[in-house]
Amino acid sequence: MSILENMKMAISSLLSHKMRSILTMLGIIIGVGSVIAIVAIGQGGEAMLKSQIVGTGNTVELYYMPSDEELQGNANSLMSPFTQDDIKAIETIPEVTNIVATSSNFGNIRNREDTVEAYITGINQSYLDVNELNVENGRNLLATDFLGGSRTAVVSASFREELFDGEDPLGEVIYIESQPVEIVGILEEPTGFLSFGSNDVYIPWNTWRSIYASNDISEVTLQAEDADALQEVGAKAADMLNRIHDTEEAYQVMNMEEIAAGLGQVTRIMTIIIGSIAGVSLLVGGIGVMNIMLVSVTERTREIGVRMSLGATRGQILFQFLVESVTLTLIGGAIGIFLGTGVANVVSYFAGWPPLVSFPVIIGGLLFSMIIGVIFGILPANKASSLDPIESLRYE
Amino acid sequence: MIRLESIRKSYKLGKEDVDVLKGIDLTINKGEFTAIMGPSGSGKSTIMNIIGCLDRPSSGDYFLNEKLVSEYDDKALARVRNQSIGFVFQQFQLLPRLNAWKNVELPMIYAGLKKKEREKRAKEALEKVGLADRMYHLPNELSGGQKQRVAIARAIVNQPDLILADEPTGALDTKTSVQIMELFTMLNLEGTTIVMVTHEQEVAVYAQRQIHVRDGLLNRNKQVVVDEGEKLQ
Repeated sequence: MSILENMKMAISSLLSHKMRSILTMLGIIIGVGSVIAIVAIGQGGEAMLKSQIVGTGNTVELYYMPSDEELQGNANSLMSPFTQDDIKAIETIPEVTNIVATSSNFGNIRNREDTVEAYITGINQSYLDVNELNVENGRNLLATDFLGGSRTAVVSASFREELFDGEDPLGEVIYIESQPVEIVGILEEPTGFLSFGSNDVYIPWNTWRSIYASNDISEVTLQAEDADALQEVGAKAADMLNRIHDTEEAYQVMNMEEIAAGLGQVTRIMTIIIGSIAGVSLLVGGIGVMNIMLVSVTERTREIGVRMSLGATRGQILFQFLVESVTLTLIGGAIGIFLGTGVANVVSYFAGWPPLVSFPVIIGGLLFSMIIGVIFGILPANKASSLDPIESLRYE
Repeated sequence: MIRLESIRKSYKLGKEDVDVLKGIDLTINKGEFTAIMGPSGSGKSTIMNIIGCLDRPSSGDYFLNEKLVSEYDDKALARVRNQSIGFVFQQFQLLPRLNAWKNVELPMIYAGLKKKEREKRAKEALEKVGLADRMYHLPNELSGGQKQRVAIARAIVNQPDLILADEPTGALDTKTSVQIMELFTMLNLEGTTIVMVTHEQEVAVYAQRQIHVRDGLLNRNKQVVVDEGEKLQ
C-alpha cells in the first residue's frame, strides 16, 4: 500500500472530523509559527548587526595595548600609540592600499555665544576612501585641505542641530581650542539601526595637529587590495610597528569581523533560548496530537478489526495511523511556517531590518513537524496495530 | 482444503483456564458449503476464528490448502486472510465513511493491486451481487440486505478459496435472508467453498453439510442433516 494511498486515506479521515483536526493542528501551527518567526527575526537582527559593525570598507584596525612592563619602562608609551613615521613605514608594505590615520579628541566647540561638546576627529585623505562621509550640504574635505591643513571642517547633522538650532551653518566659524575653523559641509543624517546621531566634527589631520600641537595618531586602519589577505597584511604591519618601537606585542590587529562573529554568536544564543521556549509550545502541540490520535484509535477500533480481517498487516495499520498523525502535523507545520513568516515580516518591518526566512529554515520547519508527527504518533499507531482483530470486530 | 487436527483452545479467565475447544477434528473439502451450528458458548465462533486465521489454536494443527497455517506468524496470517479468505459478518462491518465501491476496494489495496485493476474488479464484484447502481452510496444510504451484499462483494473481490460467513442473516429479515442465502448458493455453485456459522436451522439448510458443536466438541450424531423442505421460503 503506497504512501500516497495512505495520505489520501489520512486526509479523508481528518476531513471527517474537521473541527477536531483544526483544533489539534492549532497547537502545531502556533508552535511551528512562533519558532519560525523567532528564528527569522533573530537571523535578520544578526545580519543587521553584522553589517553595521563590519561596515562596507572591509578594513582592519591596528591598536596599541602595551604590556605592564612596557608601561613601566616608558611612562609616555600610552600617550603616543602611532606616529607619522609609523604611517610612512606601513606605507612601504606593498599590499596596503589605504592607511586611514585618525586622531580624535572630545572637547568644547564654540560659535559666538554658544558652546557644545563634540567629538573632533582629525582624518587623513584615505579616510574618505574607506569610510563614507556623505555630505548633504556644502562640500567635502578636499585634497588641498588635507595637504595644506586648511582650517575647514565637516560636521554631523546632529552637531548642526545642537549648535545652530538647525539653521544653515555653512561658512560659519567655530572655535576648537580657541582656534577658528570654517564649516564647509554638513553630513547626512545617519540611517540604520545602530547609528544614532552624535556631535561629530571632522577636520584634516594636519589641521588637527596644529590645533592640538601634537603628532599623535590615535587610530590606524588599513585597507588591503585583497580583502582575504587583510588579516595577514594587518599582522605584517603590527609586526613592523613592534619592531620599530622595540615592543613585544603592544601593536595588534583588531578584527571587526571576529567581533561581529562574536556578537552574532550572542544573538544566535538569544535566538536559540527564545526559540526553545517557543519550542515548548510545539511539544504541547505534539502531546495534543497524540491525545487526539489515541481517541481516534479507540473510536475506530472496529475499523481496525475490519481492516485486519481484510488482510491488513500490523505494520500496515501502524503505518496508516502514523501517516495520519504526520499528515496532521505536516499541514499544521506548513500553516505555521506561513503565519510565522508573516509575523517575522511585520516585526522586521517595524524594527527596520530585513526578515530572514531562509529556505533551510522552511525545510527545517517542515522536517521538524514531520518528526513531531512521528514521535507523537508512534504511541497511538502502536496501540492500533497491537489490537486483537477478534475483539476489535466485536467492539461496540 | 480445510483440515483441523485435534485443535484445542483455552483462554485464561482470571486464574482459571477455560477450555473453549477440546480437540476438534474436522475436514472440509473444496467446494463444500458447510454450516457450523451450535448454541452460544459452544465454541463455534472460536472454530470460525481459527479457520479464518484471526486466532491461533492453543494446540493442534490447522492445514489450509495443505499448508500448516497454525504455525504462521502475524504477517503471513494477514496475507492468508487477504488472499484466501473472504469474511462476511453479521453486522456487515462496512467502513461507514467509504462508499460501496471504496469498501469493496479495500482488500485489493492490501493486496497491492493497481488502481485500474481495482476499479475493474470492484465493479465486477458489485455487479455480481446486483449493486452496480449503488457503487457511490455510503453504507448508511443502503438497506441491510444491500449492505450485506456489498460485504459479500468485498469478500469475493480477491477471489478467495473460502468464504467465512458469521451469522450472515442474523441482522436481516426473512425475505432479505433468502436473497443473501441464494447469493451464497450461487457462489458455491461457482466453486467457492463456504463455511457459515449460524444457529438458525432455516438458514443452515442451504448448506450441504451441517456440523454441530457443543461444549467445545463436535457432535458426531448430527453431522449431515439436509432437508430441502426446511429451507426458508
